[in-house]
Order: sequence, then C-alpha cells, then structure tokens
Amino acid sequence: MIASQAVRAAAPRRVVHPRPRHTPRVSRPAARTAFEVRTFVGVSAAIAVAFLLAMLYLAQTTAVATLGYQAQHLQQVRDELRRQNALLEVEAARLDAPARIETEAAKIGLVRAAQIPVVQLEPITAKR
Amino acid sequence: MTENVSPRRLRVIFAVFACATLVLSLRVGYWQTVGRAALLEGATDQVRSDLVLTAQRGAIRDRGGALLATTVPLRSLYAIPKRIGDRNALAAAAAKLAPFLGTTSDAVLGALDSGAEWLYLRRRLPEETAKAIEALGIAGLGFETEPKRLYPNDTVGAHVLGFVNDDGVGQYGVEGAYDAVLRGTPGRLLVERDPKDRDLAVGLRTARPPVDGTDLTLTIDLVVQNAAERELRAACEKERCASGSVVILDPRDGAIRALASWPAYDPAAVAKADPRALQDRAISWTYEPGSTMKAITIAAAIDQHVVAPNTTYEDKGYAVIGGRVLHNALGKAYGTSTVTQILEHSANAGAVFVGQKLGAERLHAYLEAFGFGAPTGIDLAAEASGDVRPVAEWYPVDLGTISFGQGIAATPLQLAAAYAAIANGGTLYRPYVVAARRDADGEHRTAPVAVRRPIAPETAATLRMMLTSTVDNGIANGAQIKGYSVAGKTGTAQIPSDDGRYLDDAYVSSFAGFAPANDPRFVAVIVLERPQSRLFGTVTAMSAFRNIAQDALRGERVQPDRP
Repeated sequence: MIASQAVRAAAPRRVVHPRPRHTPRVSRPAARTAFEVRTFVGVSAAIAVAFLLAMLYLAQTTAVATLGYQAQHLQQVRDELRRQNALLEVEAARLDAPARIETEAAKIGLVRAAQIPVVQLEPITAKR
Repeated sequence: MTENVSPRRLRVIFAVFACATLVLSLRVGYWQTVGRAALLEGATDQVRSDLVLTAQRGAIRDRGGALLATTVPLRSLYAIPKRIGDRNALAAAAAKLAPFLGTTSDAVLGALDSGAEWLYLRRRLPEETAKAIEALGIAGLGFETEPKRLYPNDTVGAHVLGFVNDDGVGQYGVEGAYDAVLRGTPGRLLVERDPKDRDLAVGLRTARPPVDGTDLTLTIDLVVQNAAERELRAACEKERCASGSVVILDPRDGAIRALASWPAYDPAAVAKADPRALQDRAISWTYEPGSTMKAITIAAAIDQHVVAPNTTYEDKGYAVIGGRVLHNALGKAYGTSTVTQILEHSANAGAVFVGQKLGAERLHAYLEAFGFGAPTGIDLAAEASGDVRPVAEWYPVDLGTISFGQGIAATPLQLAAAYAAIANGGTLYRPYVVAARRDADGEHRTAPVAVRRPIAPETAATLRMMLTSTVDNGIANGAQIKGYSVAGKTGTAQIPSDDGRYLDDAYVSSFAGFAPANDPRFVAVIVLERPQSRLFGTVTAMSAFRNIAQDALRGERVQPDRP
C-alpha cells in the first residue's frame, strides 16, 4: 500500500453558510405549533365546507319537497276546477236539452208552431 | 366502591349483563339479517303508496256537439263516527244529515252507530247536496270523489246510448258496443308519502299516466232524436201500444239520426227500469212488416222489367195462390188498377199479382239484396237478423203473403235501410251511429259503407214517384207535409201467434217514408205494436211521421220543394 493511500481521507470541511439577515431562527416547538394550527384550520375548513354542502343539499331537498307539496296542492286545485268545469258543462247541456226546453215552454203557455212560413229569396244578380 | 361488593356478586352481575348483551346482540343480528326483509317491507309499506290512476271515460256527443254522456267526479260522503263524538253527537249529526240524504235520522244513526270505524253514508251525491252537507260543518265527515256517468238529456237517446253499470262497464247501445274504446287505460302511481299522506317529490316516484278514453261523436241529431221520442211516446200513450219504435236515418250515407224505442228508461237509474224497457226494439225486435214491403216487391218487379208503374191488373178484392185465397184489407175490390195504385190502395191482391209475375226465386233474391234476413251491421250490440226463409221452404202461398209483407220477419232498422236504398237512387248503405272518434291522435271519422246496389237508379226513381203518389193520392195521405213532397207507405200487419196462425184483431201498424221525395234528406220508419185503434193505427203512425219530419226538415233548414 502506498503511504499516500494509507492516508485517511481528510475530514470534510464544514461549510458554514452565512445566515441570511432578517431571518429569525425558528425553534422546533414553534414549527410543531404552526403545523398544528394549519392542520386545525384545514380540518375546520373541510368540516365547514362539508357542513355547507350538507346544508346546501338539505336546503335543496327541502325546497324540492316543499315545491312538491305546492305542486300537489296546485294539482288538487286544478283537479277541483276541472271537476267544477265538468259539472258546469253538464248543467249547461241539461239546460240546453230540447226536452227540457219544450217542457218549460209548455209551462208558460207556449205551443209548437203549426207552420213556419219560409221566405224564398231570389238570387241577387251582380250588375256590371 | 366495589371493595364492599363480594367478588361472587360481581361475577353474577357481570354474567347477567353479559347474557343480556349477548341476547340483544343476537336479536339485533337477527333483525339485521334474517328479519331484515320483513322490516324493510313494513317500512316500505308505511311510506309507499301504489295507486291506480283512473282513466277518464270518453264523452259522447251528438252530431252538433251537444253533450249526451260524460263522466264527472262526484263527491261521496264518508263518516268516521269516533271523530263525530259521543252518541248524542251522532244523533245530532244524523238529524242534520237525514233531510239531505233523503232518509230518516234513525237510518243514518243506525249506520253511524254500527261500529264501523269508517263508512260511506252516501255515494256520488249531487253537487248541491254535497255543498249543503259541507256547509253544516259536522266534524268527522269528509268527501271522496268517485266517477259518475251522467246523461244530461235524461231518457232521450237512452237506447242508442246504453248505460254504464256499477263496475264502470258499458252495457247496451254505444256504451256497450264501444266500451273498450270509451273506458281508456288506467295508469299507475308508485310514490312515497309523508305522515300527512302527501306525495314526496324527492322520494321514489314512478308514474304511468292514464290514457283517457276516446270521445265519440254520434250521427244522432239531438233535436230529431227528441222529436222522435216525443212523438213515439205520444203515439204509444194515445194508442196504449204494447211497444213502439222509430228509426230515422240519412239515406245518403246510412247515418242514423234518431233511434227510439218505447217503453223507454232512464240510463242513470237502470236499477229502477222495467226489464222490458231495456230492449231496443228498433234493432233487436222483429215483426212481420206487412204492406210496407209492397214497395220492395214492386221495386224488384220493376227492376226485373216484369211490370211497369202503369201495368194493369184486375183487382177483385182477393187473389188465389197455392189453393189459398188472400183478401184485400176490408175485402175491398178496386177493379182495373195499375201497379202504382197497388201502393195507393195497399191492395194485397195487387201485391200477389206482382209477386207471381216476379216469381219466388227472384223475390227471395231481392229480399236478400235489400238486406232482409241478415243483420245490417250497425255498430250497436244485440241486433236481430230477422227471418227470410230459404225459397226451398216456401209453400206456394208464401209467394203471395211475402209479397205483401207477411211470412217474413224484419227489424224496423232493416226496413229503414231498404227504404233508404229507394230514396238515394238504389244503394244499400250500412247504418252506423258513431260518426267520429277523438283521441290524443286527433279525430278519426267513420267512412260510410255502401253494401250493394239492390236496384238500378232508374228503378229507385220510379219507386220514389210511386211512393209520392201514395202519399199525394192514396192511403198514406195522412203523412203529407205542407210545402214538401213526401213519399211513403203504410203497413198494417197481423201478429203471428204461437200456434203458427195469426192473432185475431191484433196488429202492428207502421209507416215508412222519406222527405223531400225529390231529394230525400231523411228516411223514417214508425212502428206501433198492438195499437188500440187496430186497423187505424197507421193514422197515428203517419201523424207521428209528419210531426217528426217537420222538426227534422226545420232543423236541417231544408227548403220547401212545393212552396
């Protein structure tokens, strides 16, 4: 072995970088606290977002259900109006019935016309 | 704390709680696994509602759009007796309700006190009655809507319309024949409901909407139908007939304008109707037409050129055929007469003369060509076919009797269709009642069906002239209408008895005619069974024709052709 090879490698030179100015030295306990704060804020934000989303979903579901109730109520109103309309149509048909009109006419002393004169109209000739 | 408790006691308490926990765990495990399905089904049943959505039955209208039949939801009154109150409250409620329900307060109280938790007090109330009961404000009462078929014209058109039974199935008439079209297809609604029985929009919801029934427009004219029923009722009451019928149709296409039968019934109160009244005698009842058939016999003979309107014969008041003597009505003899005068006098001997000229084979062929012996095919149920025996079964005398309308059976509708062929120039149309159907796809009109041409147009024109002369100069002059030409023929037919002979002194009187004769707008057949005036029942029939015709012509705005 060459003597030079037997020489132990020199210890690495420690390079000391000058500390930049205005950079405070941070200790280990403070870093942990910051991490915890960030974690807490993040989790709280996540919970808050989840809560808001849940509230939003609940609000929409409630709104849909409420609108559903309103729609059902309106359908009932519509159905009742249609029913009343149908009843009125039946009543109108009943009042228009020829048999009823004849009966009512007889009650007030009207009689059927024995003959109804028909007037024949001459065709009108267009003048030039 | 436990230092004073003996270890043994602690072990016992621990064992008890351990056992209880084990049991509860097993129970929970059971309901989570084995019993899960039952729990789930029970929970689902509580919230889910599977409803059948009723389809609206189609409405029926006349040709002018007048409403003849429709379905309307009416309110049915129910009661929950516990919510009304104690017995005094029930009695008070019964006393208030009884006048509106048309019954005694004891009957209402009996129903309320029957022990039922929920019961109907009256179903399908008239709307005014329902409003009046609602105004009473009695707790424990409520209303549910149920469909009710309503007929605004009461008994008018009852036979042609038919009715709907308690199960919602159409019976007789148009309601029966078109039930599958009118009833529609029910739908289904599967929905979750909240505790207040309201639909949840966010939950399960599957719906198949109902398909409402098809609306029908009939060929019936309500004004003409009313006139037909009015005159038929008056004629039958005057003559104290056993029954009667009227058929009015448009000869141009076979459209039925009126179909009346007497006795009549109210389609909204069928349970109270006389069963005899349910039969539509215009299409389901057969009779021997009598002298109205002479026009058919003569039409056949003229079409075959074996006779002409002016062909003469010697009328001695009777004719001999097949060894039998067939007499004119009242035994009258008319001397030298023309074929036209056979109709004017309604001479049986003349009809036999024409029948003999024509021959049995050809007469039978023309009867079938005019539609006798087979259903017309009208779109109504329960149509009778009538009876025309095969020629091979005719006795020699049958040629004579059938020539003047005895020995065959026909319905009033068949006779009307045959006369319509004469009126329109020789075409036999299939009568029909439904003019159009209206559904979601729009309106679908019925096309008239020309079945065949039994006679040539010239023959038809000749018969119109001869039948007009019958009214102007002959036995049918009671059917004359001032200002209009009328063509027609009376009929007085004997009624066969069960022993194959004819009843003494019992007849069917009829009149078949059309107007205006020059351009017929309608054909009418009036039939009266067993009129009290017997041989003179045709006078009443002609009077009914005249009154109906005036309304029909007036309603159609037909100009007089003899001003």
